[in-house]
Amino acid sequence: MRILERRAAPAEGAAASALSTALAVLAALAAGGLLFLPFGADPFSAYAALFGESFLTWRGLGFTLLKAAPLILIGLGTVVAWRTGFGFLGFEGCVMIGAAAATWVALMVREGQILAGLPFAAFLPLAILASLIAGGLWSGIVGLFKSRFGGNEVITSLMMNYVALLLVQYLVSGPLREPGGLPQSPRLPRETWLPQLFDGMRANAGILIALAAALVVWGLLLRSRIGYEMVVTGLNPRAARFGGVEVGRRQFMAACLAGGLAAMAGMVEVLGLHHRLIDGMSGGVGFVGMVAALLGKLHPLGVVIAATLYAGMTVGADAMQRQAGLPSSIVFMIQSLIVLFILAGEFFRRYRLRLPGRRTASAGEGV
Amino acid sequence: MTPFLSARGIVKRFPGVLANDHVDFDVRSGEIHALLGENGAGKSTLMQIVYGLYGRDAGEILIEGRPLDLRSTRDAIAAGIGMIHQEFMLVRRFSVTENVVLGLKAGGGLRPLDLAGPAREIAELSRRYGLQVDPSARIEHLPVGTQQRVEILKLLYRKAKLLILDEPTAVLTPGEAEALLKVLRTLADQGHAVVIVTHKLHEIMAAADRVTIMRDGRVVGSVKTAGSSEAELARLMVGREVALTARRSTRPAGPSVLRVENLTVGDDQGRRALDGLSLDLREGEILGLAGVDGNGQSELAQALTGLRAAAGGRVLLGARDLTRASPADRRSAGVAYVPADRRHVGSVGALSIAENAILGDQRAYARFGLLDRRRSRSFAAELMERFDIRPRKPEYPAGKLSGGNLQKVQLGRAIASDPRALIVEQPTRGLDVGAVEAVWAELLRLREAGKAILLISAELEEILNLSDRVAVIYEGRIMGEMSAAEADLRRIGLMMAGSHGEEVGHADP
Repeated sequence: MRILERRAAPAEGAAASALSTALAVLAALAAGGLLFLPFGADPFSAYAALFGESFLTWRGLGFTLLKAAPLILIGLGTVVAWRTGFGFLGFEGCVMIGAAAATWVALMVREGQILAGLPFAAFLPLAILASLIAGGLWSGIVGLFKSRFGGNEVITSLMMNYVALLLVQYLVSGPLREPGGLPQSPRLPRETWLPQLFDGMRANAGILIALAAALVVWGLLLRSRIGYEMVVTGLNPRAARFGGVEVGRRQFMAACLAGGLAAMAGMVEVLGLHHRLIDGMSGGVGFVGMVAALLGKLHPLGVVIAATLYAGMTVGADAMQRQAGLPSSIVFMIQSLIVLFILAGEFFRRYRLRLPGRRTASAGEGV
Repeated sequence: MTPFLSARGIVKRFPGVLANDHVDFDVRSGEIHALLGENGAGKSTLMQIVYGLYGRDAGEILIEGRPLDLRSTRDAIAAGIGMIHQEFMLVRRFSVTENVVLGLKAGGGLRPLDLAGPAREIAELSRRYGLQVDPSARIEHLPVGTQQRVEILKLLYRKAKLLILDEPTAVLTPGEAEALLKVLRTLADQGHAVVIVTHKLHEIMAAADRVTIMRDGRVVGSVKTAGSSEAELARLMVGREVALTARRSTRPAGPSVLRVENLTVGDDQGRRALDGLSLDLREGEILGLAGVDGNGQSELAQALTGLRAAAGGRVLLGARDLTRASPADRRSAGVAYVPADRRHVGSVGALSIAENAILGDQRAYARFGLLDRRRSRSFAAELMERFDIRPRKPEYPAGKLSGGNLQKVQLGRAIASDPRALIVEQPTRGLDVGAVEAVWAELLRLREAGKAILLISAELEEILNLSDRVAVIYEGRIMGEMSAAEADLRRIGLMMAGSHGEEVGHADP
């Protein structure tokens, strides 16, 4: 008797999806646990150190939230784009564009510039708006190519990443360069920095911005009429057209919003962490954010959880290496294993295992 | 006489469903055996088990009295079992011979493929069974009916003794269907066993020797067609008495509602799908548009509903020119559409019934940009109550509904928008008798309510049962139009095949 059999219908629904994700994470942790053994380390205490550091200490939690904020924002952008059937991969570029826009606005708050003396409460909305618009325009180009000319957004958005990275490189070596210094912008005035969440904690208001964005995206995508049209477009463009949805317009909107959200991640990085525009500062966060969105099953709240978990593992990995001398690369392998196992989980929603014992049992009760 | 194939006590469980519940089924060599049942009755599952696509939880399969160790389709083919699916598995750019030998070890390794031998053998098989297939023809040049015979050839070439055909006439014209049944009879006469899976009662009565009826995963009867009747089969299949003909009142049609003038439309490949087509749809009438699939019916429906741009001509609703209007505008102007592809165009399977019920009407359900979910749910509950849609759960995913229930969602949604003109495309395709009855009754109720209905269907029985007027479409043109009283099967059949139907002595109106 065959061991694998196709299910009559794929297992669907929130419960099946959550269960398969949870099992994938557990399986990845179990498989990853084996990697600790050659070092003579006990996997359980290694995991305790890993998660204890990143979630249970004040300092570690601060770092975790600091790293989670941009991942959440990028993950949300991914949710919006992919749920609308727009296979956008240009988040890395949008992060840089958003960072550049925020830097530009912040530098205008310096002494002698036009926005000098602007209070933070007025500056922050302005910075958010600037990064949203810059990122939205940037990804909107890709969206326009797609909805107007049918250009493949996967390729154009990937290419646009390079353009964005090189554009920022140009900015920090030319127009925005700190006089005499490295290829980076001048340090932003202190009054434009995102405030710390609590005194002595590394996390800043960026995580609040990210959580607010998650709430907005949840409301837009899952509760509003436009979100409904976007979701229908993503699931089935033909049904969307049938339902009077202007598919091209919705995809264009999704593209702009996705880019805008990723650009806000860039803003949070600049105003909260680096405090200046640096060449190559995004460092792949645009791609990790997509992974977080996948782990979060393209649900706004799932993204918050997955991004925080991912950030925590990264933070814990550093601590584990410092304290226990275990290589942090193990943690990155576990992160990759989680992704692999989640993809494998998709397979088991379509197929089921049939253990040979079961068949005999049910055959016995027959006739 | 030992049956060629016997299935004994087959049990098949899927999570939450008992698809086959101790099913016994046998087919003898030399007979055409129909397997009849509503959708979800378990007949496809049974055939897929026999063909080795699914494992079984209990039961055994015997070939000529000997148990068969059936693990995969390869075992089934080796035992002489062959199956033809609804969608043909042919490579369109290959020749008949290439398709027939595809997957067999004809050449192997680096040796060149020998096609001359197989071609001779195929020609011989074709002659022997009256298939009329040219082994060197390319699939893409063959009509659908011939492509189906290529599928039969594939099985014969693999020495199949049992041929299982799943809904074989669904894609054929009446003429082609008749020819197919003749071929099947030849096969049976020469000692093959043939199973046709179908829910078309008249076909079973015309072609099959015996029929096994399934309901809810169980066999409820196995009878000789000679001693049975359509009414008895329908009763066995559904479990209650069913009306197989729709009762129409005679009722004069009102003024014109939807006019199509010289409409020209291209298809996806840029070919001309509609070529100067004109129609006039009047209040309180059902205009049946008959035709073989793919003669421009879908493009017409799409052009009427704004899903496809017109290259020329006009679409008028009353006095209003809708030719350039968007789908949303047409909908609010009063043109409703029930598409043929209810799973991929008319609904979104991953969304709930409630979310599907408002598709197209989502603007009316939004307040300050947010959807009023309580209202959409209560609307869905109302629809489900009124049209008897099961399960009665507005949160149930639409993709898991049966075809009949999904169709009721589509139809109910269109009716609830209170349209002036309703375009229904293949409304009962793939539905079982009970659901067909419900859909027909609903269309006739709408007609009584004074709606103008364009019924696009490839089922002549449906067209003749419901329509006040019948038009026949062929290659994007109307071949002829007649009142229901003048419509007869033969004349319509000829027009569907592209002749003007004048052979029978009528002049076009």
